[in-house]
Amino acid sequence: MEIRVVRDVLEESNLRAQENRALFDMHGIFAVNIMSSPGSGKTMLLQKTIPALTERGFSCAVIEGDITSTIDSERLQPLGIPVVQANTEPFGGDCHLGSHLVQAALKQLDLSSIDFLFIENIGNLVCPAEFYLGENRRVVVLSLPEGEDKPLKYPLMFRECNLCLLNKMDLAPYLEVDVELMKSNVHKTNGQIAILPISAKTGEGVGEWIAWLLHARGGQS
Amino acid sequence: MHELYIAECIVKSVAASLPMDVPSDSVREIRVQVGQLDAVIPETLLFVFDAIKRNSGLPNANLSVEQIDVVCRCRACNQEFGIELPVFICPQCRSGDVEVLRGRGILLTGITVQNGEEA
Repeated sequence: MEIRVVRDVLEESNLRAQENRALFDMHGIFAVNIMSSPGSGKTMLLQKTIPALTERGFSCAVIEGDITSTIDSERLQPLGIPVVQANTEPFGGDCHLGSHLVQAALKQLDLSSIDFLFIENIGNLVCPAEFYLGENRRVVVLSLPEGEDKPLKYPLMFRECNLCLLNKMDLAPYLEVDVELMKSNVHKTNGQIAILPISAKTGEGVGEWIAWLLHARGGQS
Repeated sequence: MHELYIAECIVKSVAASLPMDVPSDSVREIRVQVGQLDAVIPETLLFVFDAIKRNSGLPNANLSVEQIDVVCRCRACNQEFGIELPVFICPQCRSGDVEVLRGRGILLTGITVQNGEEA
């Protein structure tokens, strides 16, 4: 017997994501899903971003995704903000955060007191791009040492994001990387994505990144 | 490696699609379409599905994976075109403002079950 069906296999995952989004909307939270390769500087970006938002009067929280360990959430502890570690190891070691894990993490946060929620996804340019978590915006961090070719090798990630932060610009003089080619390759995968060169380490471009966040939060959706 | 998670999602989708009176162990074939953009490796998906199917109530099911090529539409000139990954630029007007019509997403498209009298 044939059972004819057309069903999105990620239906349940997307339903959980929509539930997360409803919670964000209800509490006035602007959620940003930050994705990248391992080591591109997501955590240091948050270490610079959160104080800049805090001094402007915004309250922040972080869901810190990793397969295992609490290393990144420990780095964020001195910021004095709520950080929830979401490890996938007990759930099979998935290399991306799922909307169900974000949902579980949200239960550990006082949602009524959060303006910006940063979801630091697991370092991986493939899998995290596939799964909607309920976020308002998606940001990919691409660091200069990764090379110009990465957008072309991982096109879904760059197609799915609203903004690409070209991080570690301070290393440009020491690398043979062609920054303009890197930008061009990002735009070949997604003509609509915004690109901001930054250095989380030196602070270059961080002001523009904060302005982008505030503008995006103002525009919502 | 997101194929394991996707295989688990396929199992849930099949369970949600089966009529109440059809036992899951009667499922013989599950057909899915996988968009080329999704970077799912069919061989890996088949491998992990086979690894989990016995403990997922689908011991007799085989998975069939059809890959769907990417088709885009240019928002500037309305041209529809297939693309060779990874360059999303309209071949007619060179605009980068293109939407993906097909080739993204994972769909369950059919289930074959063995009827009681056939068993």
